[in-house]
Amino acid sequence: MEARRQPARIHRFRPALITQTDDALPEYMNLIGMICSMCALMLKIKWCAWIALFAAIVGFANARATEDTKQVLSSLMLSISAVVITYMQNPTPMTIPFFQ
Amino acid sequence: MRSSMTILFILFNLLSYFTWSVAKKIKDEDFSEFDDFDEDEFVVEPPYSPGANQLSSKTQSNKPEVAKVDDSFQSLSSKSADIKVNDEVTIDDEDDDLMFDEEEFETSDGYSSSSPATSTIPDLKITEIPANLTSNHWEAYHCEAIMLLLLLGYLINFLLGRSKNARLADIVYRSQRDLLERNFCLVGDNGQTRTTQSADDSTVNDSTTNKMQKESESLYILWCSGRTAIESMLMEVRLAKRQCLFNSLAAMIKSSNDMLIYTADYSKEDMETFVFCLAKKHCAAKLHRDMNDLSQFCSERKTSDKRGLNNGNYQILSEIGEVSSAIIDNRVVDFIEKYPDVLEYIHISDQYTGMKIQNDTQQSSPNTTPNAGSTAQQQDASNTSERSVRHVLIIAFNLVARNSRSLEITTETVGSDYLRFVLQLIDRVNSFRFTLKESKNKAIKNRQRIEEQFLKNVYQQRQEQAQQRREEKRRAEKEKIMQSDDPERQRKWEEKEHKREMKRRQPKMKQMKVKAM
Repeated sequence: MEARRQPARIHRFRPALITQTDDALPEYMNLIGMICSMCALMLKIKWCAWIALFAAIVGFANARATEDTKQVLSSLMLSISAVVITYMQNPTPMTIPFFQ
Repeated sequence: MRSSMTILFILFNLLSYFTWSVAKKIKDEDFSEFDDFDEDEFVVEPPYSPGANQLSSKTQSNKPEVAKVDDSFQSLSSKSADIKVNDEVTIDDEDDDLMFDEEEFETSDGYSSSSPATSTIPDLKITEIPANLTSNHWEAYHCEAIMLLLLLGYLINFLLGRSKNARLADIVYRSQRDLLERNFCLVGDNGQTRTTQSADDSTVNDSTTNKMQKESESLYILWCSGRTAIESMLMEVRLAKRQCLFNSLAAMIKSSNDMLIYTADYSKEDMETFVFCLAKKHCAAKLHRDMNDLSQFCSERKTSDKRGLNNGNYQILSEIGEVSSAIIDNRVVDFIEKYPDVLEYIHISDQYTGMKIQNDTQQSSPNTTPNAGSTAQQQDASNTSERSVRHVLIIAFNLVARNSRSLEITTETVGSDYLRFVLQLIDRVNSFRFTLKESKNKAIKNRQRIEEQFLKNVYQQRQEQAQQRREEKRRAEKEKIMQSDDPERQRKWEEKEHKREMKRRQPKMKQMKVKAM
């Protein structure tokens, strides 16, 4: 077994060799998060702000290690600020338009 | 870093909760007229200043006004005897005249008569009532409560799922570490350190440290190199996304397994030229459709008739006939019989270029000319006449719980068996050579055909790009000429263009030169 080891045949790792998969969930969640945050801030829609928060958290959970953490963090901060500002502007409880 | 981020997130959550509760305390002046008044909250304020007087008188006047208007506040009129108005308060509001009309306001007489006597009148203090306690109670925020509970549930699931995945990956590594160390010189490399761990003498090579790299919460990789027969082997532990609650719920509908994928890269001389795949039925269809090499070289899917594989579970895609019997030997069949449903697929190819959708991105991979400066050059360089093919052996296993034991215990016991099977197959592929001459000829013919197709595509693309560039240049020229405002130049340019069009429309005549005798 030891005869199998060959120091001469050592090659360094290249990230391009990882099998590519079609997983674009973090990007979608990022996009949804940003759109919903903007909607919530400008149109003062509370449920949009909550959806933005969820999208940011799902994006954070599914993010790859190679991805920029600043991007994920900024998305999270934006959604939290959307929730806080929407409630400061209008402290009344949220109403979901589809159910009322 | 992820744990610090989660702590950060929890802190921000708390901060937002406090900000939200503070926001509730902001008095909403628009709705103050609908506020519920309680007698105990009304105490007369002494006049501090004229400005303050105005404000206090206004608010005082507003409240009795509302009391008069709203029938529901009938109790207030009976309790108005308790309201003591300070005579020294200056009234500037016009509406106040109505208020303090002695005929309407019943108790004003009593007050005016008693006012000289009572010099020490308690002041009206209007306490600020938080908006949510007047009109909305906490029960009204049930949607927010549900959202917060969902959020909390997601976070808890994230932490639990992440730790379970990490534990599984660690078990896989520990079960295979010894065998890997005995077979490879380099186990674990991230490609970024200047020297590899095996060459670095200064650090203690601690065999208990986990050298796996975490690519995401559900993907762990391990790079191994320095062995005969192959250049490198990449082990990927692709686990189910337990850290995401929505993925876990989706997994209940469409089941997804934890997988262990080994990708061994050969050099050109180490491997014979063939494309072969043994896969489970549903997987075989998907691979045949998505993989470039399998769709180009393997025409049909066949069900194997070998023992152990004849229950129809597995299908074979093979370019050359003799390869199937050579690769699927007794060892493979024994493994499948011992661990049914574990082997997902075996994909062996010397023309591996990845999946069809990603072919465009793979064409611009590192097969470019060294001096690619401008964009046009780079574009050309991406369409080089060399396809970036890899010689690979890919084996995928499902990590499933067996014999009613937990997944962790099963993985621990069978981890080294899987690796042993992989290493045996690596050596088998390395030592296999065609016995029949026609197999070799068929392989060469197929590859020539695909190469020609590829070159034709590249040539076509280059033509299109050149055509586009020419069009753009002409358009730019035209713009320049039109903007120059010189009719002479415009006319000349248009003539030139016209001549060019006529020349292009004419069929190309071949000229034959007759040699004079």
